[in-house]
Amino acid sequence: MAKPACKNLEEIFRTPHGAVYQCNRANCFWLEFAGGISAFKASDFLHLKKQVEQIDVPEMVQNTARMADIVILNPFRSERCFVLTVTDVLNLRELLQGAKVMLDLNSMLYDCLHAMAV
Amino acid sequence: MKDLLRLRTSLTEEIETLLNEQIKVEAHSSSVYLAMSSWCNRNGFDNSADYFQKQSGEEREHMLKLFGFINDMGGRAISPEVTNIPQEFESFRAVFETALQQEIYVTQQFNRIADRCFKAKDFMSFQFIQWFLKEQIEEEYIARRALELFDVIGEEGTGRWEIDKQVPKIKYEN
Ligand SMILES: [Fe+2]
Ligand SMILES: [Fe+2]
Repeated sequence: MAKPACKNLEEIFRTPHGAVYQCNRANCFWLEFAGGISAFKASDFLHLKKQVEQIDVPEMVQNTARMADIVILNPFRSERCFVLTVTDVLNLRELLQGAKVMLDLNSMLYDCLHAMAV
Repeated sequence: MKDLLRLRTSLTEEIETLLNEQIKVEAHSSSVYLAMSSWCNRNGFDNSADYFQKQSGEEREHMLKLFGFINDMGGRAISPEVTNIPQEFESFRAVFETALQQEIYVTQQFNRIADRCFKAKDFMSFQFIQWFLKEQIEEEYIARRALELFDVIGEEGTGRWEIDKQVPKIKYEN
């Protein structure tokens, strides 16, 4: 899927399975994953990351019930619904965690640059 | 690139998680004290029942203090799930021993949080935590003094009745 047509989007992190962008106009993040792209406010984005991290992957693998093969996430304030297999969970986790590292790095750069400016 | 995370909150993910865990610990303490109050009540220790009920209220205040701080800082305070509350205790003495152990555990948790805040250079949270560390001095003191009554007064004869009478009088003068 192509990057959304908005000049204010900056790519934060990308894996073969998706990407995360930041929109500096609307102060939100765009998550591109599994053929869809959707916007999240900063707090909702972090919450989504936490939810994905809390999925019990070993349990999904061990449990033979059919229902255990997938996890459905319905983030609030989003029209997006994620239906995730084990592989999807791991891919999405990698994407969100990678994005978080880049955001933290950006925070640190920000701190340093401001310290220099003063 | 704009720092959207910082615009949202000054809490790092790590510290926010730690503070939310502490909310849970305080809520748990509050419920355990309430269970102790009930135990004391049904075993005829009225003063101790009142004392533990008051403690339970204080733990809830602690919880709300943390709750308010997280939200004030732009974080997400989580209303805790409280499970596994013991309803039975071995003896009158065991109740106070459990209470002291619980306070010691809480102190350890706050020390841990303070250490993490310091390492993360989050001095706002570090400052906030100071209040609790100071509070724990008092909490541990009172819990320890209460337990000592069992040795000082002794449990024989009317000992337990006397202990129950002394419990509410313990004060920490600082
Ligand atoms: Fe407390
Ligand atoms: Fe306490």
